[in-house]
Amino acid sequence: MITVNGITLDWYEGKTVRDVIQEMNYLFPLLIARINGKLIPRNKYDSTEIPDKASVDIIHLMSGG
Amino acid sequence: MADRKMITIEIDGKSVSVEKDTTILEAAQSIDVYIPALCNSELVEPYAACRLCIVEVNDGRKTKLVTSCNYPVRKHIRVYTSSETVLRNRKITLEMMLSRWPNVQVIKDLAKNAGIEKSRYQHPAVDLNPNACILCGLCMRVCEQGIWENIINFTNRGAVRAVRMPYDSEQPHCVGCGACAEICPTGAITMVDDPNQPYDAKMIRKAGMRITEEMIKYDEEQCDMRGVGTAHLVEIMDAYDLLPVMNYRYGKHEETPKISSDIFRKYFTKGKPDGCWLGCTMACAKAIENFELKTGPYKGERVLVDGPEYETLGGSSNMGIFDPYFVAEYNFYCDTYGLDTISFSTGTSFVMECYEAGVLDKEKTGGLELPFGAKDAALELLHQIGRGEGFGLIAGKGIRYMKKYFVENFGADPDFVFDIGMEAKGMEYSEYVTKESLAQQGGYGIALKGAQHDEAWLIFMDMVNKQIPTFEDKAEALHYFPMWRTWFSLCGLCKLPWNDVEPADNAETDEPAKVPAHVQGYCEFFEGVTGKPQTMDSLIRMSEKVYNFQRVFNLKMGFGRREHDAIPYRSAGPVTVEEYESRQERYDTQLREDAGIDPAGMSSEEKVAATRKHREAQYEHLLDAVYKRRGWTNNGVPTAAKLLELGVDFPDVIELVTKHGG
Ligand code: SF4
Ligand code: SF4
Ligand code: FES
Repeated sequence: MITVNGITLDWYEGKTVRDVIQEMNYLFPLLIARINGKLIPRNKYDSTEIPDKASVDIIHLMSGG
Repeated sequence: MADRKMITIEIDGKSVSVEKDTTILEAAQSIDVYIPALCNSELVEPYAACRLCIVEVNDGRKTKLVTSCNYPVRKHIRVYTSSETVLRNRKITLEMMLSRWPNVQVIKDLAKNAGIEKSRYQHPAVDLNPNACILCGLCMRVCEQGIWENIINFTNRGAVRAVRMPYDSEQPHCVGCGACAEICPTGAITMVDDPNQPYDAKMIRKAGMRITEEMIKYDEEQCDMRGVGTAHLVEIMDAYDLLPVMNYRYGKHEETPKISSDIFRKYFTKGKPDGCWLGCTMACAKAIENFELKTGPYKGERVLVDGPEYETLGGSSNMGIFDPYFVAEYNFYCDTYGLDTISFSTGTSFVMECYEAGVLDKEKTGGLELPFGAKDAALELLHQIGRGEGFGLIAGKGIRYMKKYFVENFGADPDFVFDIGMEAKGMEYSEYVTKESLAQQGGYGIALKGAQHDEAWLIFMDMVNKQIPTFEDKAEALHYFPMWRTWFSLCGLCKLPWNDVEPADNAETDEPAKVPAHVQGYCEFFEGVTGKPQTMDSLIRMSEKVYNFQRVFNLKMGFGRREHDAIPYRSAGPVTVEEYESRQERYDTQLREDAGIDPAGMSSEEKVAATRKHREAQYEHLLDAVYKRRGWTNNGVPTAAKLLELGVDFPDVIELVTKHGG
């Protein structure tokens, strides 16, 4: 189990930041990802695996008028 | 963007692992190996004009001399940046350059670095100007590739080759962005026109250039403002259940892909930046050319449609219409009649819901059949509004008027029309579903001008990120963001460059939502114009004065008290059973977890009522917290003490607020 923005999700070995973004259907491009508080650069979303029991924040910035 | 394949290469004996297709120059820079590169910049495609960046490459079979700025790494290679051959060739190039442009500082520096005291050559076209053009081509590439303009280019050949505007004349299409001057390594291009005599034009241009650089480097992967403008939000809002569908009943629809940005990308005039004003490199305005109108006074004519933007598209889904041709047509006619697409579409959504609920019928609308999705009738209504005729005379006066009119003349149930008529302070809601974000309900309800999101757009912060969980957190956001966004209006600036592109290191800052680097840029902008240094706090302070003064103005005009910050219930929660049941799991969970009520055994009607009671109380709590944070009374009136602190304590202002308990 992991939490993403306070929501509980299943965990499996090898689950990446990108997998979580897809599972949550987070389409917005201006995201900031943190695993247990640690910042993950955008170009590492595919390769960064999330450990079990992690607390993940996918912060959405704002855009538009 | 998927992570690319990594390749390990060797540069001067050092190993470095880089993504496939990285250039040798970039690879060297990443491990601090210096290679001189005069005609290269990360803002443009390589051009290989100066040949100073040459290196030797060995691919295991042979060694060759290549320009490193445009040599992509595709397999393991060994690179030598300072071999004898490299140094000898580079020296010859530099001596040639020095002989032609002996006084240009970058050339002198590079030559000195390479150990050249004096050139052995004599150039027939020697140019003694210290700001001579060295023909690197950076300016024309940034203009074409970075700004999407094509204003300057090389003319002539050989010794008289030079950078020029066509026919050597001033070009009306030059947006004056200054990117060419900024990128020029010799100062050959300077911006001369400062008609407004700012205090420090350079400071302003530098701040502007930072945004331009971000646009060039990141826009395509971030918001794609230059490609499709704000239309990119359609599919995003749908994904988060925030796109208004059928008068804000729902937040998504299976037909949304028909009006998504991908569809409009095909119709938009391509590859041309279209800014609202000269110099804007975000240029998010889009246009559809050659659009053939099917209705109205210009039926059959081909016209240019200015748009559509997000709000116009969201307005269409709100009317239950998912047809790009309809969108272009209603966009054009709203503009032509001088109507706002938001007011028209939100107003018509209300009419459609009233029609479906039986408040209206064909007789009352003068023959128009107006259920959701009725695009022909919606266009006819638009033309009637434009002509000031028929039912258009009623609908054109807006939702606040219609609510009263329907109750008084058509026997409508006042509770129902007031719940679903999406306006606040007499202005129609813009196109976001706010039910799941209490902070945004406040953002609409408390906004001085009425239900518009341009004071605060907090839905992601509140609903998705859960960054502002308490009433105090929400009140703080409803202090900072409205003040910050008001500041743009004070200065007559567009706020999109603040948050529709972001710097690479924004995520590492303390408060990324504020985009601190851009706030700093606006401080510099203000200082550059006025000569007065600013901080984030001082900008907010400017707004606070005006904002409070405006609230007092509202009060004077009969709009500035708590009762005027009320919102229609549709913006806070499900009005109908049908709405509740469409998101039953969500609402049931919220009843249980947020309101402490067990929904088991309750009927849908009871659940709607319980949800409403809870949400309406939450909204009142929010108002309490926001007023407190802003230094207003519990009735939403700025206190005399607050106005004194802000220096707007004029006698008539104080008299007015005191009369209202402030
Ligand atoms: S100011 Fe901008 S648009 Fe004009 S020539 Fe320079 S880069 Fe091109
Ligand atoms: S004007 Fe400046 S940027 Fe343009 S080609 Fe000449 S030296 Fe290069
Ligand atoms: S930097 Fe490579 S040729 Fe000029």
